[in-house]
Amino acid sequence: MNAFTDRAARAVADTTLKLAIDRTTGTARTKRDAAVRAWPQFQQARELGRQIKDHVIAHLDHYLLEFERNAIASGAKVHWARNAQEACDITIRICKDAGARSVTRAKSMLGEEIGLPQALAEAGITRVETDLAEHIIQLAGDPPSHIVWPALHKTREQVAALFRAHHTDPGAMATVEAMVSSARRELRAKFMAADVGISGANFLVADTGAICTVTNEGNAELTTTPPRVHIVTAGIEKLVPSTAHAMSLLRLLVRSATGAELTQYTTFHCGPKRAGDRDGPEEFHIVLVDNGRTRMLGEGLAEMLRCLRCGACLNHCVVYRQIGGHAYGGVYPGPMGSVLTPVLDGLAESKDLPKACTLNGMCQEVCPVNIPLPTLLRGWRDKAWREGLEPTTTRGALGIWRFMVLRPGLYRLATRIALPVMRLFARRGWIAAMPLAGGWTRHRDLPAPAAQSFMTQLRQRKSAR
Amino acid sequence: MSSARADILAAIAATRAAAHPAMPNAAEITAQAWRLLDMVPGLRPDRVGADVVESFRARVTLPAIGATAEHVQSWAEMPDAVRRYLATHQLPASIALQPHPQLQSLDWQGVVTHPTIAVDEPVAVGLALGGVAETGSLIFHSGHDAPTLFAFLPVHHIVALETSRIWPWLEDYTAALATMPHPRNVNLVTGASGTTDIEGALVRGAHGPGFLHVVLIGERSGALTSDL
Amino acid sequence: MSEVVADAPRVGLFVTCLVDSMRPSIGFAAIALLEAAGCRVEIPTSQTCCGQPALNSGDRDGAIRIAQHTIALLEEFDHVVIPSGSCAATIIVHYPELFAHGSLWHARAGKLAGRTFELLTYLAEIRRWAPRNVALAAKATYHDSCSGLRELGIKAQPRCLLAGVAGLALTELEGSETCCGFGGTFCVKYPAISNAIVGEKAGHIADTGAELLLGGDLGCLMNMAGKLHRAGSPVRSFHAAEVLAGMADGPAIGEGA
Repeated sequence: MNAFTDRAARAVADTTLKLAIDRTTGTARTKRDAAVRAWPQFQQARELGRQIKDHVIAHLDHYLLEFERNAIASGAKVHWARNAQEACDITIRICKDAGARSVTRAKSMLGEEIGLPQALAEAGITRVETDLAEHIIQLAGDPPSHIVWPALHKTREQVAALFRAHHTDPGAMATVEAMVSSARRELRAKFMAADVGISGANFLVADTGAICTVTNEGNAELTTTPPRVHIVTAGIEKLVPSTAHAMSLLRLLVRSATGAELTQYTTFHCGPKRAGDRDGPEEFHIVLVDNGRTRMLGEGLAEMLRCLRCGACLNHCVVYRQIGGHAYGGVYPGPMGSVLTPVLDGLAESKDLPKACTLNGMCQEVCPVNIPLPTLLRGWRDKAWREGLEPTTTRGALGIWRFMVLRPGLYRLATRIALPVMRLFARRGWIAAMPLAGGWTRHRDLPAPAAQSFMTQLRQRKSAR
Repeated sequence: MSSARADILAAIAATRAAAHPAMPNAAEITAQAWRLLDMVPGLRPDRVGADVVESFRARVTLPAIGATAEHVQSWAEMPDAVRRYLATHQLPASIALQPHPQLQSLDWQGVVTHPTIAVDEPVAVGLALGGVAETGSLIFHSGHDAPTLFAFLPVHHIVALETSRIWPWLEDYTAALATMPHPRNVNLVTGASGTTDIEGALVRGAHGPGFLHVVLIGERSGALTSDL
Repeated sequence: MSEVVADAPRVGLFVTCLVDSMRPSIGFAAIALLEAAGCRVEIPTSQTCCGQPALNSGDRDGAIRIAQHTIALLEEFDHVVIPSGSCAATIIVHYPELFAHGSLWHARAGKLAGRTFELLTYLAEIRRWAPRNVALAAKATYHDSCSGLRELGIKAQPRCLLAGVAGLALTELEGSETCCGFGGTFCVKYPAISNAIVGEKAGHIADTGAELLLGGDLGCLMNMAGKLHRAGSPVRSFHAAEVLAGMADGPAIGEGA
């Protein structure tokens, strides 16, 4: 047992969590399925999406430079950050230069990835999460458990209790509508009072220098229009050549995430307030974050940079569906998280994640840009083996097994011995417990093997002729 | 030029050189990108019928999108449409009116209008630059007569949309966008704000408007054309 | 006489390590089916395992050496047939990936891959064989093992073949394409998670009201059968080959032979 298997075991035993996971991912799967059925050309569109992303990845520096040029021309300030620390330092510096006491934040997994909440707290800057789910988990002090529904692990009773404790005008909280109303009231004034608004970006549009946000709530616009300063933190892989290319990807992203065709609010933000604008930030900063992405390019993980952060792989993963997001122990859970976490946290720290996978391939099947997730996970397993990260017991056992597999005579002998030994533990055809088989027999019975292997029986049948 | 920028670009250049030794120039890269979109018309979902206006109206009023819509023949009828809406929803006859001359020039008798919007404004009346039939989206561009927050702060958002300004497909809109200076904010608003963050239950009006009402102005039907 | 492709290919049967040690009847069913389909069946005796455990553990060197051993013993046959989607996928999809493009071994792996088939696919699509005079009056449900489904496109073929078994009523399993939680070494490395997954699968199987669970991969079948039995379920499990070969009147998985 280790930290991961501990967390997984606890998650698997948590029936409330399971109800929440089933409800959220089940609805997402059903809706995605309906959306895909309603679009006969979906597979072709998916292939186009892959081509668009691969084209950008193949020319990432070209598009970064084009984006930077156009963003600067629109009045934005563009910053570059090699890693999480630099990204946070730049963001905090901008906040401090703006004299910010409070910042509002629209949901951004990249912000979680670089540790922005922590950095803001350490800088003594009040952080107000505006996405309802992020607001809930901020009050609860929890990390997100899903990249699209970060608070799926919270029940309505838990949310009501949090709101009652923290909102200034909670009201009766008898219904979910009442809770949402309370959150709306709570955050309204804070939107307008913030000095700085921080968002992520779903897309960085190279030929206009604009960034795109998609939300269902409208919090991204309320976060980024009222304050004096808007800061965007975005991974460098978010680039697309043009707004038209973004539309092709949006058709895939939203259906894959929630089954809708577009989110309620799809906004392209291009630079700060201009002469003539009635509202908008005075300053518009874009922090382009690498944090392992260029390393992924060079280390056989380029396909992972296609990821649109739709969450479909999570929703369809049999492992995620049993253990939820927190058990993964990283910022990103599910199949995409199992590929990304070793990049962000190092393979030694996270080697369970690529292994805690049956390689069934449904993740790739539902990925809107056909990322070969099982292949990438296998790649991590290969690397872990090469770097000697596997426990000696595993290496030893596999070594013995391999030795025998390559020596058929020895293999037959071993089988001839093992089968009758195994049968000693059998009762009426089933083995309920057996040394070395605890992993299997703890939860299920093992059918007893035949008295003689196929190859033995075959030899006997032949000699009987 | 910070060294982070140089490092990141250098790292990318190094891997790219290894993977694609023959480097296309900028013009070729851009051309390649646009060629990819050649196949888009053939693979869009079947959402736009011969009558673009009806396609838009049918889509925007789908329960999943959650807007209401009505049709009037001319701009002169817009204030009546608003008065009817206020009466139906038992709202006070006081609205934030987007400071657009087309709206301001109408006869708002009986309704108090103000050109700025309060944080908990009950009703705002605005004007969309256009619409997209494929998705039932309203397009707003920020500008002198269009504060962005008009589309986000009110509880009820009533939007005038000329039927002649409905683009069939998202790409028709982006092609039009490419011919004009990109505004600070481009909003595609597709229905009323909502969230399913608490136990998956859909609630409207999480932060943006909980009610979106579209007043279609002009001809009831419109043939499919990309020329706007 | 069933409609059979005129030639009589020399088929090397690779039974798989699990069939060899845990359920030989599947191997004998495969021989019977292939012979009925007009093949000359041989079982190369130095076969052991396709090497999946090494491959999936990241032991690429081990996988390569096992692949070389296996390719050498199988490449002489006209066709190679395997009663398992995951083992067939290992040879067809993954063996070529183990070797550098342009190398001799890559070519040999590619050639073998082109001549290797999962059993049910082989019978249905290559031999165009269908069962004759096979009867089994039972209500069954079918689990689509993931490797076979997603790497080899095995979906319609087993159903097509089983439709020819008189009296067999096949009910679709809710989530038939959802993983059963076996995943090779996954089920013993992460038993709590695997158990949760197979528990849900067992629930869906019970919901079909079927008496029999059928599938094309013994590992998956053992996993599900073991869970069903531990849960006290009366559902009995067979490999589809056993049903097609008329052997479903014998002991099901775990019923001791």
